[in-house]
Amino acid sequence: MQLTGLRRTGVLLAIPGIALVLLLHWQVFFWVPTEVTMGVIQRIYYVHVPSAWVAFMAFGIVAACSAAYLWLGDERLDMAAVSAAEGGVLFTTIVLLTGPLWARTAWGTWWTWEPRLTSTLLLWFIYVGYLLLRGATDSPQRGKRFAAVLGILGILDIPLIHLSVTWFRSLHPQAVVMRPEGPQADPSMVITLLTGLAAFTLLFFAIMTYRYALERLTVERSTAFAGTPAPSVAGGGA
Amino acid sequence: MTAYLNQVRIIVWRDLTVELRSRERIAAMGGFAVLVAVLIYYAIDLTIVRPRDVAAGLIWMTILFSGMLGFGRAFAMDLEQDQLQGILLSPISRGAFYLGKTIANFALLTAVEALVFTVFGGFFNLSYGGTAWLIVAVVVATAGVAGLGTLLGAIAVHTRPSDSILPLLAFPLLIPLVIHAVMATGRLMAGRPPAEVGGNLRMLAAFAILFLAAGTVLFRYVVEE
Amino acid sequence: MTLVDVPVAPAVPTVTPAPALDARELVKDFGPLRAVAGISFAMRPGELLAVFGPNGAGKTTLLRMLAGALKPTSGEVFLGSERLEPGAAEWRRSIGVLSHQTFLNPQLTAAENLRFYGQLFGLRDLATRIPERLERVGLLDRAEMRVRHLSRGMQQRLSLARTLLHDPQVILLDEPYAGLDPHAAALLNRALAALRDGERTILLITHNLAEGFDVADRLAIQVNGRFVFQGSRAGLEGGEFPRFYARVVEGASR
Repeated sequence: MQLTGLRRTGVLLAIPGIALVLLLHWQVFFWVPTEVTMGVIQRIYYVHVPSAWVAFMAFGIVAACSAAYLWLGDERLDMAAVSAAEGGVLFTTIVLLTGPLWARTAWGTWWTWEPRLTSTLLLWFIYVGYLLLRGATDSPQRGKRFAAVLGILGILDIPLIHLSVTWFRSLHPQAVVMRPEGPQADPSMVITLLTGLAAFTLLFFAIMTYRYALERLTVERSTAFAGTPAPSVAGGGA
Repeated sequence: MTAYLNQVRIIVWRDLTVELRSRERIAAMGGFAVLVAVLIYYAIDLTIVRPRDVAAGLIWMTILFSGMLGFGRAFAMDLEQDQLQGILLSPISRGAFYLGKTIANFALLTAVEALVFTVFGGFFNLSYGGTAWLIVAVVVATAGVAGLGTLLGAIAVHTRPSDSILPLLAFPLLIPLVIHAVMATGRLMAGRPPAEVGGNLRMLAAFAILFLAAGTVLFRYVVEE
Repeated sequence: MTLVDVPVAPAVPTVTPAPALDARELVKDFGPLRAVAGISFAMRPGELLAVFGPNGAGKTTLLRMLAGALKPTSGEVFLGSERLEPGAAEWRRSIGVLSHQTFLNPQLTAAENLRFYGQLFGLRDLATRIPERLERVGLLDRAEMRVRHLSRGMQQRLSLARTLLHDPQVILLDEPYAGLDPHAAALLNRALAALRDGERTILLITHNLAEGFDVADRLAIQVNGRFVFQGSRAGLEGGEFPRFYARVVEGASR
C-alpha cells in the first residue's frame, strides 16, 4: 500500500474510533447504572477490559507477523510486527494503570500478586524486551530477527504463564458479562462494554496504521541518506 | 538420525572439554553462587525467619542468577576466532547445534546446582527429604532453564549490552517456571508426599518441552542470516 | 592509455567450457541497504580469482554468500552443473573457507580441532585424514599441542588444514594474510601454491594489492557492490597495478 493510502486508512479508522471513545465517555459517566456490589469504581472496567482485549490481540498480531517475517523475510511484515508491539505495550500499560486504581477500592490495595495482574506485568516486560532488543544490535537486520524470535516465544509462553500464576487462588472477578449461559448483567452494561471493545479495537488499528506508515517513511529516508546505489543506476557512463 | 545425534554429541564433547580445561564459566558461576549464599546468610535474620521456610526460593534465585552468568558466556567463547562462523559453515543441523549447546549448558548448571544445594544445606542446616523426587524436579526445571537460556544466550551475545539484556529477556519468560520449581522443591524438602507436587512437575515438564522445542526450531533464525 | 578504458569492461562471465564456480547476478540486501548489487562471474577449474576492493565494497558479503553462510536476496550459484540450494548443507560441504580468523578453539589441541570439524562434516576416515593434513601444512609434530600455544602463523596453517579437511572443490580465502608477519605469510603462500593442482578453484578476497596480484590468474575489482573491473592480469605489470586500481576505484565511486 502507498503512504497516502495508509494515511487515508488511518483516518478512516481513527474517526469512528474517536467517535466511539466519546460515546463511551457518555455511556460510562451518564448512562450505565452503577454496579451494586463494587460501586462507582466498577466503571473503570469499561476501559480496563477493552484495553486487555486489544493488548492480547496486538501480541497475537506480533507473533503472526514475526513468524511470517522469519519465513518470508519481507520487511513489511517486520514493520507490521513492531507497529503492533508498540500498540500492544501501550494498551498493556493502560491495563496495568487502571487495574491498581480499581484494586485500591475493591481490594483495598494498589498491587497484589493476583494471577491476571502478574501475567499482564510479565507480558508487559516480555514486549518491552522485544522493543529494547530491536535497538540493541549493531546490525538492524539481526535486531529484527531476534525480536521476531522473542515475539513468537512470548505468545507461546502466555498460556503457560497464565496457568502458572492461576495456581494460586484467584481474587479476580469472574467474567460476568460473557458467561456462556448468557449475560446476567444489565443490558446497558453489555452495550457499554461492547462500545469500549469496538472503540479500542478501531483506535488500536488506527495507531498501528500510523506507526506502520512512520516506519515506512523512516526506512525510505534512511535509504535516501545512506546513498546506497539504487539497483537501476548502472555502474558507469559507457 | 545417527548423523544428527552425532552432531549433538560432538558439540557437547567440545563445549564440556573446553570448559573442563579453561574452567572459566564453572568458576564464575560457582564462585558467584557461594557468594550469594553468604550474602543471603547475612541478609536474613535467623532469629526471625526459619531458613528452611524460605530456602527453596533462595536456592532457585541463586541458581537462576548464576545460570544467566554462564549462559551469557556460552556463545561468547564461540566468537573468539569466529568459531561460531566456522561451525555454521559446516553442514551441521542448526537444531543439533542448539541441542548440543543446551545439553552442555544443562550439565554445567547441574554441577552448579549440586554446589548450591550443598552450600545452602551447610550454611542453613537444611536436610533434604524426598531426594529422588527432588532430583526429578530439579532436573526437569533445569532442562527448561537451559533450553530457554541457550536460545536467549545466542541472542544476547550479539547485542551491545550483552550481559545485562539476557536476564531482562529471560526472567519474564522464566518466572512462571520458577514458581513451580520453588513450590515443588520447597514441599519435597519439607517431606511432603510427592503426589502433592504432581501438578508442579507436570507444569515444569510442559515448560521444558516448550522451551526445548521452540529453541530447536527457532535457533536457526537466531544464528543464520 | 588503454588501461583507463578497461574499467568499463562489462561484467559478463567469461565463457569457459564448464565453469567450476558460476555466480549469476548475485544480489544481497540488508534491509534498505544493497551490499551486493548484481555480481556475475564464472571460474574455470583450477583458476584463482582475486577480488580487490576498498572497505565497504561488499567483498565479505559476496564471500559469505558464496560460502553458503548468507542467503542471496536474488541470483544463483552453480557448482559445476549443480545449482546450489540456499541454506542447504550440501552447499557448505563442497566449499572450504579460510579466513583471517582461524575458526579454531584455543583450548583444544591441533588434532582435536581437526577432529571436531571433521565430525561436523561427517567424515569417517579421520584417523588417517588428520595426520595427512597436518603433514601437508608441516604441523604433524604439533598435533597434540593446544592451539593457544601455537604461533599465529602456525594457527593460520592449521586453519588451512581445517579448510582442506573435507576436500572442498572450491576454496574461499577471506583476507588470509591479515595479521601474519612476512615469514608466516610466505609459509602460507607456499602451502597455498601446493594447492594449485589444476582442479581446485580458489577465490581470494583481499585489499592487499601486492600479494593478491602475484598469485592471481584473474583479477576483479569490486566497488559499491559491483565488479567494476574483471579480467585477466595479462598486459598488466605488478608495479602498475596499484595505480590502475586507484584509477578504477576512483572512477567507479564518482
